[in-house]
Amino acid sequence: MRIQQVIEDKEQYLDFLKFNEPGDEEFENKLDTFDLFLLTDDGVIKTACAVCVCRNKKCEIKRIVTIEEARKQGYGKYMVDYICEHYSDRCNELYVGFGNCGKILGFFEKCGFINSHILAGYFLKKYKEPVYDNGIQLTDMVYLKRRLESDIDIKKVVDVALEAGRILLKNGGEIFRVEETMTHICNRFHIDEVDIFTLSHAIFVTAKSGEEEVYTKVKNVPLSGTHLGIVAEVNALSRAISSGRVSLEEAQRRLKEIDKMEPMRPIAQILGAGASSGCLGYLLGASAKESVIAFFIGCILFCWILFAKKCHVTKIVSNIVGGAIITGLALTAREISGIMSLQLNGMIVGALMPLVPGMAFVNSIREIADSDFLSGTVRMIDTLLVFVYIAIGVGLTLSIYHTLGGIVS
Amino acid sequence: MIEELLINGICAFIGSSAFGILFNIPKRYYVGCGITGAAGWCIYLVLDKYIGVSTSISSFFGTLVVVLIARMLTVRMKCPITIFLVPGVIPMVPGAILYHTIYYLVVNELGMAATKGLEAVKVSFGIVLGIAIILSIPRDVFQKGYWKQWKYHRKKKDKTKSNKIII
Repeated sequence: MRIQQVIEDKEQYLDFLKFNEPGDEEFENKLDTFDLFLLTDDGVIKTACAVCVCRNKKCEIKRIVTIEEARKQGYGKYMVDYICEHYSDRCNELYVGFGNCGKILGFFEKCGFINSHILAGYFLKKYKEPVYDNGIQLTDMVYLKRRLESDIDIKKVVDVALEAGRILLKNGGEIFRVEETMTHICNRFHIDEVDIFTLSHAIFVTAKSGEEEVYTKVKNVPLSGTHLGIVAEVNALSRAISSGRVSLEEAQRRLKEIDKMEPMRPIAQILGAGASSGCLGYLLGASAKESVIAFFIGCILFCWILFAKKCHVTKIVSNIVGGAIITGLALTAREISGIMSLQLNGMIVGALMPLVPGMAFVNSIREIADSDFLSGTVRMIDTLLVFVYIAIGVGLTLSIYHTLGGIVS
Repeated sequence: MIEELLINGICAFIGSSAFGILFNIPKRYYVGCGITGAAGWCIYLVLDKYIGVSTSISSFFGTLVVVLIARMLTVRMKCPITIFLVPGVIPMVPGAILYHTIYYLVVNELGMAATKGLEAVKVSFGIVLGIAIILSIPRDVFQKGYWKQWKYHRKKKDKTKSNKIII
């Protein structure tokens, strides 16, 4: 079951919409100004509805017709509900007017309409001949209305959007992705005026909806690890939200679930670090033997990284010690094996690959390319400092080794 | 040469997908990461070693290929481009060069440090340009139906009106 809006050639549905009554002619002339919606099920048009948008944020259902065989199956109500949601961002009230006849009244009351007003004697004045419906002469035009409140709270929407943005930013999403996702979520729930300002570690958002008050929120997002799986999940959720398949409550619940997603098992991460050390070391000019050693050094190094993360060791210390561990192990490997042809450089360069902040580097480049220099610079400095720390670790260990070596020999 | 390329390609494949693990990328994307990484590195290697272009220009073309493949995969698999981009670029990121720069600084060989530092900056700019150029191509171009649709439009140009119902 799906509902489509017809933009062109509305006339071809005219037969469908006609009642064969007086008034049809006027309707026919004005059809082009109305919005026409069709509900199709299994490829067959079941219900059609013509809506007129009036001034003062009001709209009116001019015609709603369901084919004879498909009545009393809820198609009409589905259509009315869809119309309500469709216009809730533009209009405050939806009206419907019809002759004083009980049957239609029942349907619209079931759809949540309440009495608005009556144009007494409308049919008598407008048409010279009396108009009958089910044997009753129509005299008055009865109007019903339904308030189109988007019952969605602006604060709640912004909170959900901000939470999505925070999770993205924390786990390595780019600035533009954060902003795009938040805007999509807000727009989906009919908040059109959103201003978002994102830094590499903070989000500022201001939203305004209609005459209601303005809502502003600031969120601090500390720099932390990368989890692209979470980024992918939030991205998928954002797609589902903007296509209208996910309600606000469900979005909230799913965001909470996503936030709790665990990183990969430590053993897998350690082996991954080893594999990238070995392979990338080989690419960068290490020999096969050195690559194998780099694999083991990478594994041991990553054990330290995981441990440091668990104990909340600062970045400076964990990287300097990481550099020292790499060099120490490389030196030991050379000493133990007794093969002096082993190049220290190859082993060290390979083993430090898992420490390379590739994520921050690529993101900073993309942000600078996007002219977002502030976040780009911050991340670039983050990248450079990591290298400084590693090099300090390596340099210190090497100089200590040389001094000691000098003493020994 | 082919043998070396093959070994390098396999190494880049494993290295890039291993980096996927470190970034907690979901398992279904590993192959994509590997392919991007391997393709980019092979282009880089051919240019750098066999044709003899400078490192920065080879990394520019390598990145070009990485981003191109990453964008195609992104559209097909419906996921953020970062997933393929970062592991793909990793082999070319001037990590080793930057490390050497700082290392020479630490051991007080300023001349070498300056040379290496400049090289790192050049390579970075190569990567920046590669990423920026491909990312500035509009998203639609990578959509599956784009080229077909274009052909279709050209054929149908003079014929009757197109579909009436627009969602």
